[in-house]
Amino acid sequence: MPPVIHADLCKKCCRCAEACQSDVFYGSIPGTVPAVTYPDECWHCNACVMECPAGAVELRIPMNLEPMYQERR
Amino acid sequence: MTLNTVHHESDLLVIGGGIAGLMTAIRAAELGLKVIVADKSNVRYSGAGATGNDHFQCYIPEYHGDDFNAWIEEFQTGQQATIRDIKFIRTWLSRSFEIVKLWDAWGIPMKYDGRWEFAGHGMPGDMLNHLHYAGKHQKRILENEARRRGAVIINRVMCVDLLKEGERVCGAVGISTRDDAVHVFRAGGVALGTGSAIRLYPGCTPSCLFNARLCPNCVGDGRAMAFRAGADMASLEIPVFRCGPVYFARAGKATWGGVLRDPQGTPVGPFVTRPDNRYGDPVVDVYQDIFMDYRDSARGPVYMDCTGLDREGVEYMTHWLENEGNCGILDFFKKEGLDIGSTPVEFRSYDRELSPRGGILYDENARTSLKGLYAAGDEFFGGISCAAVFGWVAGESAAQDIKALGNRPEASEPESLTLELLRAIRGRERDTRHATWQEANCAIQQIMGDYAGIPRSENMLKAGADNLERIARRARATLAAGNPHELARCAEVLNLLEVGALILHAARERRETRAKHIRKDFPFTNPHLNKLLVLRRENGETQVEWRAVRKR
Ligand SMILES: Cc1cc2nc3c(=O)[nH]c(=O)nc-3n(C[C@H](O)[C@H](O)[C@H](O)COP(=O)(O)OP(=O)(O)OC[C@H]3O[C@@H](n4cnc5c(N)ncnc54)[C@H](O)[C@@H]3O)c2cc1C
Ligand code: SF4
Ligand code: SF4
Repeated sequence: MPPVIHADLCKKCCRCAEACQSDVFYGSIPGTVPAVTYPDECWHCNACVMECPAGAVELRIPMNLEPMYQERR
Repeated sequence: MTLNTVHHESDLLVIGGGIAGLMTAIRAAELGLKVIVADKSNVRYSGAGATGNDHFQCYIPEYHGDDFNAWIEEFQTGQQATIRDIKFIRTWLSRSFEIVKLWDAWGIPMKYDGRWEFAGHGMPGDMLNHLHYAGKHQKRILENEARRRGAVIINRVMCVDLLKEGERVCGAVGISTRDDAVHVFRAGGVALGTGSAIRLYPGCTPSCLFNARLCPNCVGDGRAMAFRAGADMASLEIPVFRCGPVYFARAGKATWGGVLRDPQGTPVGPFVTRPDNRYGDPVVDVYQDIFMDYRDSARGPVYMDCTGLDREGVEYMTHWLENEGNCGILDFFKKEGLDIGSTPVEFRSYDRELSPRGGILYDENARTSLKGLYAAGDEFFGGISCAAVFGWVAGESAAQDIKALGNRPEASEPESLTLELLRAIRGRERDTRHATWQEANCAIQQIMGDYAGIPRSENMLKAGADNLERIARRARATLAAGNPHELARCAEVLNLLEVGALILHAARERRETRAKHIRKDFPFTNPHLNKLLVLRRENGETQVEWRAVRKR
């Protein structure tokens, strides 16, 4: 689920993988586009997004975590 | 499967490079100790303060007035009063401004627009003691300060057991989360800063174990290690829960400046009727069950409604939410094309996601009951400033004690039952005959939520303890890990089982109702039990002691 890597922008530096506290990108190898190995372990902390020099990561909030809101009254 | 062993030596081993652990490392290193920090993640973005916090509880004389004693008196009678000893509270808050100034000097912006900005966690008319600060880059800054003083940081090593030489704690063993290696640390002393005990109770989305209010990689490892080593533990039986946006748990409540309203737009509490960034809506601080009561009486849901904040007010709130590490939810609303300044966001209590009010009992010098063992921060409870102050204090106490040690005894072979068990787990085939860590973690959450949730009773707690013990036996016999990452998750499960059993034990001992420890079979608060419940392991048995607390 959570981090989405845009391969066309990615510089394959794996800084996102190094930053992630949950090791969601476990097994990623610098020089290749990181693998999102354990998406279920993402805490949506945003560290991978902050660390990426290329704006190549974004977070997708899974449906079962979506915030709920009231449509305009 | 063989695990290679790597050996490390230092004066002080810091386990957990969160806010507390990095502060310990910085202080101990500048006082001349050789320091190693071992962290299961990467200290740059690890722990509950990973990508920011924004409220730093503190006393600043030029803001609060020079009379510290009068201020403490007011603090102790207010909303923020805690169960800790007065000496502890005095050390924490009297030293808080020193840390504020240090952080500011290191580059963590502690002032807003050139002034001390206090907001949140208070009622209109109350003294405010939470300083608004911009913590987005705090971890990187603290990491750099630690490295600059010579502390060595070893990331991706999860410590699993403390080592003792006689009665003294002298190191730890850990496992690498990235390759099949065991790490043995020998040191003059050990400081624990592994944070809170999360993933023990079901969250608001039980199918998603990591959707937690606090850091889901902090699962009570420090508590489990300290208890196994014989340290005093306290207040584990008192549960706490928080509130925040429905289904997205990590966003909290304190930084939202809106009014909590019912679906028709009527405020649910008496304290604020218009959005006010200075207070937010404090009704939930004094009436935690409000969301459940509204739901159950057909008046819910309840919304956090910021409508009425002007553009500047919305920008102000967004600035702090970003510094609290809440970009995820902000981006969600942006992508939806919605303005959080005018969209009522549904809030709830995460009323099943409990965490213990206490943990390792450390004193005003950050010393635990064991020689050579220090602890700080969420190893008990207390938020950012408590972690920062006592992390710092732990560095000072460790420097003082370890320098006085003289020659350290020859190290004997490290003994760790946990490590033996982990070797067995790693040796098993990862197939359907064996259990996964997720399966075990969910089983633990079910039992804790159903038998040790709110409310409680002797019958349910006793059944819960028996059920958890059965699951523990099954986990030890059948868990398997396909790689080092999964092995670390299995090690976390073993610690969750330890802490869960401890909570069940403590909850059975406190035969009264106190705060959210609601005992249906003892529905009253017993004034004689206004004491700390201390548990410790001696010769394999759990000993219980009631200890008076000096509050004034
Ligand atoms: C979104 C959010 C906002 C918050 N806002 C505020 C706020 O504004 N004000 C406030 O006071 N509090 C706030 N908090 C709480 C605050 O962040 C924590 O109280 C604080 O970070 C605790 O510091 P700590 O050092 O004790 O633990 P943490 O900072 O959580 O650090 C624990 C460290 O231990 C490591 N670790 C864990 N187990 C092991 C192990 N076995 N071996 C090695 N390493 C290990 C972890 O990787 C981590 O680095 C917030 C929390 C969240 C999640
Ligand atoms: S948001 Fe945080 S937890 Fe999720 S993948 Fe990125 S760094 Fe990891
Ligand atoms: S940090 Fe960004 S550029 Fe580097 S590997 Fe990750 S996604 Fe690619």
